[in-house]
Amino acid sequence: MIPSSPFLCVITDESLCPVTIAELALKGGAAMIQLRHKSASGSQLFSWAVEIRNQCQKYRALFIINDRVDIAMASKADGVHLGQQDMPATAARKLLGKERIIGVSASSLEEALQAEKEGANYIGFGHIYPTFSKEKGFPPLGTEALQKTAAFISLPIIAIGGVSLENTATLISCGATGVAVISAVSRADDPSMAASELVAALNRNHS
Amino acid sequence: MEHNKLPGASLPRLYLISSGQENPDNGILLEQLTLLPHTLCCMVQIREKQLNAKQLLTLALKARGCALPDGSMLLVNERVDIALAARLDGVHLPESGCYPDKLRPIAPNMIFGCSVHSPESLHIAEKSGADYLLFGPVFDTPSKRKYGAPQGLEKLGQICQSTTLPVFALGGITPENGALCMAEGAYGIAGLSIFQDTSQFVDTLEQFYRIVSP
Repeated sequence: MIPSSPFLCVITDESLCPVTIAELALKGGAAMIQLRHKSASGSQLFSWAVEIRNQCQKYRALFIINDRVDIAMASKADGVHLGQQDMPATAARKLLGKERIIGVSASSLEEALQAEKEGANYIGFGHIYPTFSKEKGFPPLGTEALQKTAAFISLPIIAIGGVSLENTATLISCGATGVAVISAVSRADDPSMAASELVAALNRNHS
Repeated sequence: MEHNKLPGASLPRLYLISSGQENPDNGILLEQLTLLPHTLCCMVQIREKQLNAKQLLTLALKARGCALPDGSMLLVNERVDIALAARLDGVHLPESGCYPDKLRPIAPNMIFGCSVHSPESLHIAEKSGADYLLFGPVFDTPSKRKYGAPQGLEKLGQICQSTTLPVFALGGITPENGALCMAEGAYGIAGLSIFQDTSQFVDTLEQFYRIVSP
């Protein structure tokens, strides 16, 4: 189940071993880990997935794998996260069944509506603010786009892109259910501390 | 453990690998598939690492839509999810890929093949339940020069002798040298570049077919 109160999703990158990032993020209170590693081999990805799945179970957090529906199935992850260039959600749903989570990246209301129609369980919406974590072909969407999308979409929205301690309150008040970060945790001096500060900021907003 | 529901003998002996330059709207794979003579069954691997999953699925569905000769098998490189979504017959795993025994539970009816380049990787592939092996490059081939000298016929022979699994020889194989691979114990022959010239495609296939037919 996707948490209904504001939560932190941490996406792994290639700065550290994904298993290490996941462990530190979970210690800091992340409720969702997304394994994302575009250059890893299949066997490497699978063995990371099994380890992170076990960590997530220990912390009662959700474990999602980017793009690779097959690795998610084989490692019994909680679900997948699909970009616009990945397998369509309808095709993934047929493979994963009803129970598994499918998240879809959207950068416009149209894409979010399409994902909702195709049976996604949450929308990853962004990037909201400028970010250097991923190469982007378009300018930041801003909080207005988030607000507009949240008004039309009933699925949980995870805001991504330039999330920081300073803007989590704004993102939640604009309709995001959760926030996702990559480098804000993985490249922090103390990733676990960075995660727990974000979680604290999210909880402050909530109360 | 029964890992190979289809006996090796039922696999086609010719193995066609896509160019690596396909895109869902433009390429020669679909042309090659429609050119396949109906008497000439083939293994066909879609190996297009430059495509994203969405494009790969589109291409795989189009390939699946082609009427292939009876007994042919359509595979995709690495991605079991694409194979499942497009109802392909199997998946070919690179040496660094996830092992067949980890993937078979999610695709119990599929063929899983493994690339092997050494006795060590042969051992791993066998232990994890591969249905067939792809070994190469046997001869010099431009696409593999960056990895060093070809493996040669002797190593092909050693691999074939040390396994009961069907071994397809790959890399620089022509109708002229293909018989040497079969003499070393190869089950069949795989090719990529040699099938690129679609005007010669059927001729080339037929020449190979004569070599691999027992």
